[in-house]
Amino acid sequence: MFRFAKAALNLSGQSARQVAVRQKSDLSREFHAKYGPPLLIAGVTFCTAVWAYVITSTGIAWNLSPVGKVQPKPWQEE
Amino acid sequence: MPPFHCTRHSDKTVAFLPLVAVAQNFQTGRAATVTSAYSPWMLATRVFRLVGNRALSTSICLRGGHGVAKVEDYTLPAYFDRRESPLPDIKFVQQLSPDQKSLKEKEKGSWAALSKEEKIALYRISFKESFAEMDKGTGEWKSVVAGIFFFIGFTGLVVLWQRNYVYGDVPHTFDPEYKQKEVQRMLDMRINPVEGFSAKWDYENNAWKK
Repeated sequence: MFRFAKAALNLSGQSARQVAVRQKSDLSREFHAKYGPPLLIAGVTFCTAVWAYVITSTGIAWNLSPVGKVQPKPWQEE
Repeated sequence: MPPFHCTRHSDKTVAFLPLVAVAQNFQTGRAATVTSAYSPWMLATRVFRLVGNRALSTSICLRGGHGVAKVEDYTLPAYFDRRESPLPDIKFVQQLSPDQKSLKEKEKGSWAALSKEEKIALYRISFKESFAEMDKGTGEWKSVVAGIFFFIGFTGLVVLWQRNYVYGDVPHTFDPEYKQKEVQRMLDMRINPVEGFSAKWDYENNAWKK
């Protein structure tokens, strides 16, 4: 009965520790410490550059509000 | 089924097991038969005992006569660095180098005699990382966020391609001149004069409200 309870409640916690051992590896930590900052800068730069071009220079019609921007012009044809 | 005894006779005497049982029966005077000991798994263990491998026979005995399983790596006690359970099941370094062995011998004496480097070396034998090292963050978030921005940027390229190869021309109603006339017409019609469009136009001064 005790053994059943021990198995059911995972009282040794061994499986949790084995999962933790498996997930945290040395190789990935060194990679992130070494390449993380330059990758971050490169990613942000790439993203802002592409979207700045797309938003301004591709001719996409955003149809922003004319309030405060557009000067009215007479429209009636006599 | 007889109960699970696996009594540990020596290899030489095991062959005489049935004779011993018979002898005991004669001594007690009962006319009992010697059938209780001969289930198939016990015969198998007797064979293995004759072969002379006690560990094998014992483990076969315990496994109900089926054989020895391969010991998997993950079933053995593992080393782990966790803050919440500070003492792992095994030491980190299992095979000691000769230097480490001599250090372990020195450890058996007075600890005051150990230098600071030796104490640190002993710590590193037993443990992989100190608490400071194990709690330190990994900086993984930088790579993750970099990946996020990269894929958003890639999406921008997709939109660019769409603009050039999928979208047709916008309708003429988007021309700037047309828009100007449209605004004048909307103001003339007093579109949303309370809080919306025309409310923002100053009709006295003919300009947008500041």
